[in-house]
Amino acid sequence: MKKSLLLILVLILSISMVAVFSEVAPAEEAPLPSGKLVIWSWAPNELWLDASLDGFKEEYPDIEWEHVSYGTGDVYVNLPLALTAGKGAPDICLIENSHLSSIVEMGGLLDITEKIQPYIDNLATYKLKECRKDEKYYAVPWDGSPVAMYYRRDVFEKAGLPTDPESVEELVSTWDKYYEVAKTIKEETGLYMQACTKANNNGRLLEMLLWERGLGYIDDEGKVSINSPEVVETLEFIGKMTSEGLYSDEVDWTDGWYAEFKSLDKPVASYIEASWMSGIFKSWLAPETSGLWGIVHMPAYEEGGVRASADGGSSLIITEQCQNPEAAWALIEYALLRDQSVINCFVAGDYTPSLVTSYDSDVFKVKDPFYAGQVIGTMFNDIMLNIPKANIYTAEYAEMSSLTVPEIAKYLTGKQSAQEALDNAAAAIRAATGRK
Amino acid sequence: MAVITESTLIKTKTLDKRIFVYLLLIPTCIFMMLPFFWMLITSLKTMAEVFNVPMIIFSHNMSLDNFKVVIDKGVWIRLWNTFFISFTATVLRLFFCSLAGYGFAKFRFPGRDILFSVLIASMIVPFAVTVVPLYIMMVNFHWVDTILPLVIPGAASAFGIFFMRQYIRSIPDELLDAARIDGCSEFSIYVRVILPIVTPGLVSLGLIFFMQVWNDFMWPLVILKTPENQTLPVMIATLTGLAGTNMYTLQMAVSVISITPLIIIFLIFQRRFTTGITFGAVKG
Amino acid sequence: MFTYFFSNQRNNQERFSKTMAIDTRVLKRMKESWGEVKKKRWAYIFISPFYILFAIFSMYPIIFSIYLSFTKWKGMGPKVFVGLANYRRLFGDPIFWQSIRNGVIIFFLYVPIMTFLALVLAVILNAKFVRFFRIFRTMLFVPYVTTMIAVGYVFRIMMNTKYGLFNMVLTSIGISPVPWLDNVWWARVSISLLIMWAWLGYNMVIMLAGLQTIPKDLVEAATIDGANPAQAFFRITVPLMRPIILFSVILSTIGSFGLFNEVYTLTTVGDVPGGPMYATITPLVYIYQQAFRNYNFSYASAVSCIYFVIIFVLTLLQLRYFGREY
Repeated sequence: MKKSLLLILVLILSISMVAVFSEVAPAEEAPLPSGKLVIWSWAPNELWLDASLDGFKEEYPDIEWEHVSYGTGDVYVNLPLALTAGKGAPDICLIENSHLSSIVEMGGLLDITEKIQPYIDNLATYKLKECRKDEKYYAVPWDGSPVAMYYRRDVFEKAGLPTDPESVEELVSTWDKYYEVAKTIKEETGLYMQACTKANNNGRLLEMLLWERGLGYIDDEGKVSINSPEVVETLEFIGKMTSEGLYSDEVDWTDGWYAEFKSLDKPVASYIEASWMSGIFKSWLAPETSGLWGIVHMPAYEEGGVRASADGGSSLIITEQCQNPEAAWALIEYALLRDQSVINCFVAGDYTPSLVTSYDSDVFKVKDPFYAGQVIGTMFNDIMLNIPKANIYTAEYAEMSSLTVPEIAKYLTGKQSAQEALDNAAAAIRAATGRK
Repeated sequence: MAVITESTLIKTKTLDKRIFVYLLLIPTCIFMMLPFFWMLITSLKTMAEVFNVPMIIFSHNMSLDNFKVVIDKGVWIRLWNTFFISFTATVLRLFFCSLAGYGFAKFRFPGRDILFSVLIASMIVPFAVTVVPLYIMMVNFHWVDTILPLVIPGAASAFGIFFMRQYIRSIPDELLDAARIDGCSEFSIYVRVILPIVTPGLVSLGLIFFMQVWNDFMWPLVILKTPENQTLPVMIATLTGLAGTNMYTLQMAVSVISITPLIIIFLIFQRRFTTGITFGAVKG
Repeated sequence: MFTYFFSNQRNNQERFSKTMAIDTRVLKRMKESWGEVKKKRWAYIFISPFYILFAIFSMYPIIFSIYLSFTKWKGMGPKVFVGLANYRRLFGDPIFWQSIRNGVIIFFLYVPIMTFLALVLAVILNAKFVRFFRIFRTMLFVPYVTTMIAVGYVFRIMMNTKYGLFNMVLTSIGISPVPWLDNVWWARVSISLLIMWAWLGYNMVIMLAGLQTIPKDLVEAATIDGANPAQAFFRITVPLMRPIILFSVILSTIGSFGLFNEVYTLTTVGDVPGGPMYATITPLVYIYQQAFRNYNFSYASAVSCIYFVIIFVLTLLQLRYFGREY
C-alpha cells in the first residue's frame, strides 16, 4: 500500500515538474539578438552614436558594431549604388532627412512600421515626414534640427545694441526689424550680419526661411510651387540683404567662412542655423570664442508669427540586405528611442533629440558657458515642437535643389530678377520630375 | 668683310633668339614645376597654415604628421591596390594588344581592312556613352567593388593594337617564315619570335597603360566602394574632413604618395615613354 | 593614329616590304597554299579578344544605352517604356546645352594657345641649341604622368581667391586679385589653365617627333634665302605639321567635352559640380550627376547618346575638312 502511494506521489511530482518547466522553457528559449553590424555614417556622427549606445553592451552583450565613416555626402552616392547592386550595403546607415525621401523611394530599406509604431507619438512630428511612405515607416529620426539665430554679444555691444537674449529676442522679432539691426551693425561696426555667398550660394538659407513659412518646392498637392509669390518675396528679402552689403560673400565651409566665426575682432554678427551647428562651433570651428555667443529665436515673418524652422537632421535606416535585422533594430531602438540615450547624445554632441519625451530632463536646463551662461537646451526643444510642416525635403530634393541653386546664384549676382530665377527653377523642376 | 658681317649678324640673331627662347622656356617650366612644389610643401603644413595671411611658404613646424594620419587611414592599402590593378591591367592589355597587333600586321585574311576600320572607329566612342550601362552590367555580373571591371573591359585597347601593329609590321617576314618551316605553331611564333623583338615597344606601351590605369578616377570612383578596395586617386577625392570640408593637407599627402612612383618610373624610362607616345601618334 | 588616313608613311613601308618580298615570292607561294587555311584561322583567333571585349563592353552597352534612353528607370524596380520623353526633356534642358556650350568655350580657351605653344616649344627644343634641353623637355613633360585628381586640388588651393598663391603673387605686384573659381569666366579660364598644364608637354612631345620627320635642309634653305625665323615657322613648319596638329586638335576636342577630373576637383562646391552656376559643367560631368547622384539612369543614357552623336559628328567634320587636303 505504501509503495503505491509513494509511486502516485512521485508521479504527481514529476508531472507537475514537467508542467512547470515546460512553461518556463519557451521564455528562456528566445535568445537575445546577436551578431556584427556595419554602420555607415560620416564624421563626427560615429562619436555621438557611440555616446548614445552607452550601456548597450550590458543589455545586448552579443551585438558588435563597426563604424564606416565616409566623407559627408559620399554616403548618398555609395548607399544607392550598393542598394542597386544588391550587395555591399551596410546593415544600418545614417541619412540626412534631406536625402531620406529619395532613398526611401528607391527601395531596399527595411519596413519597420510595426517596430516603430509604439514610439510614433513620442517623436517630433516634422521629422517623421521623410521617414514615411504610404503609411509605412522606413527610418527612425535621430537628431532634430531646430533653427535659431546665433548671435555675437560682443558685436551687438560694439554696435550699441543690447546683448542679453531677452532684449535681442525682441530686437529681431520680425525680418524687417532684423534688417534694421543689420544696418545698424553695419553702420556702427562695419561688420556683416552673417555670410551668404552670391555666386556659389547653396540655397539653404532660403530653404530655412521658406520652411518657417510652411512653403516649399511643391505644395501639398505635389505641384511645383517654388515660384509662388510668397517664395519670390522671401528670396527678394535675401537679395536685399546681400545687395545692400549686409551679408558677406564667404563660401560656406571654406576657410574665409570659418574665419568669420573664429575671429575675435572681425566676426559676423549672427548666424541662422540649426542646433547641430552648436556642437561644431564648440568642438573645432570656434572654441576660442566661447562666452561670446547667445541664441535667440529666428525672426518671424510677421509680428507674433512662427519663429521656428528646420535644416538638416538625420535618421537611421536598416537595409534589406541586413542579415541581422533583429540586432539592427535592437541597436537603433536603444540609441534613438530611449530617453537616457538621446540625453547622452545631447550631452556629448549638442544634438537635439527627436524623442520629445526626453525633454523633461534637467540636462536641457543647464546653463551653457559657451553662450555666456544662457540655457539653450530648452529653447531648442521648444523650437522643435513648433516647426511647421513644409515641403522642402521632397523625394526629389537633390534634383530640385540642384536646379534651383544656380538660379538663386544668378539672381544674387544680379543677372536676373527673383521672379525670373524662381520661374526658371520651377520650369526646370517640372521638366525634370514630370510634376505640374 | 662679308664674312665678318654675316657672322656678327648670325651672332646677334642667335642672341635675340636665345633671349626669346629662354624667356619662353623658363616661365613655362616654372609653371610646370610649381604645382609639384606646392603639393609637397602643403603636405608638410597644418590646415591652419594652408590659408594663412600672410602666406606661409615654408612652414616653421614642417612635419610628416599628415603622412602619419594618412597612413592610419590606410594609404598603404590603397597604394598596393593601385599598383596591383595597374600592373594586372597593363599585363593583360599588353598581351591582347600584341596578339591582335600581330594578327593585323602579319596575316592576310578576308575582312581584314574592314575589321581594322572598325578598330579605328571604336576609338571615337567616348567613355561617357558606355559608363551607365557598363555600370549596370557590372552590377549584374556581381563585379561591383572588385578589380574585374577595372581590368577586363579595357583589356584590348584599340590604341594599343594600332601601336603594336605598326611595330610588328617592321619585323621581316623571313623570320616568321623560317619559324614556320621549323614547324612552330602560330602561337609559339608569337611567343618565341615576336615578343622578344617587340619588347622595347611593349615597355613603351606598357608604361603608357600603367600610367593611364594608375591615374584613372571616374570609373574606380563608381566601381570601388569599400575603402579597403579603393585606389589612390579615389582616396584623394574622398578625403573630406568634418562637414564635407576638404582636408587639403591630407589630400596633398596622399597626392604626393600617388604621383611619386609614377614620376620615378617616368624619370627612369623617359625615352621609352616618349617613344611610345610619339610612335602611336606620328608614325603610320 | 589618325595619320592612318594619310598614306605617306604607309606607302613607304609597303614599298620596302615589297622589295624584300620579290625574292622570296616563289617560296612564299608554296608556303601560303600549305599553311593558308591554318594561318587564317590563327589570325582570327589572335584578333578575336579585342572584338569579343568590344562587343561585350562597348557595343552592347551602347545598344543598352539607347534602349535605356527610351525608358524611365531609377536603378531599382521595373523599367517603364516612355518613348521619346527623355529626349524631349533633353532638348529643353538648359544644363545640358550649357554643358555643350562650356565644352566649346573651354575648347577655344585652351586649344589654340596650347597647340601653338606646344609647336613653338617643340621647334625650340628641336633646334638643339638650347642648353639642358633634355632637362627642359623632362620638366615640360612630367605633368602628363601626374594624377589629375592630385593636381586639381593643388590648383584649387593655389587659386583660392583670398588666400591662394596666385592672388598673393598678383597683389604683391599690384594687380587686384582674380576670382579664379568664383566667377563664371575666370572659372573657365582656370579649368583651361589646368588642362594646359597637364597636356602641354604631351602635345609638345608629339610635335617634336613630327618635326623630326621634316628635313632640316628645308628650313635652312629658307633661312639662307633670307627668311626670318618667324616666316620659316609659319610658312614651312606649320603646313608640314598639319597632320600632327590635326591629331592634337581632334584629341583636344574629345577631351574638352569629356572633362571630369578637372571639374570634380576644381569647380565642385559641395554637392553641385561644374560651378559656379554651371559655368564649367561638361557633358560627362552632367551624365555622372544624373546617373550617380540623381539615379536617373535612363535620362543619363539619353544624354550620353546625344553626346555621342555630337562628338561623332564633330570628329568626322574635322577629319573631312582638315584631313582631305592631305
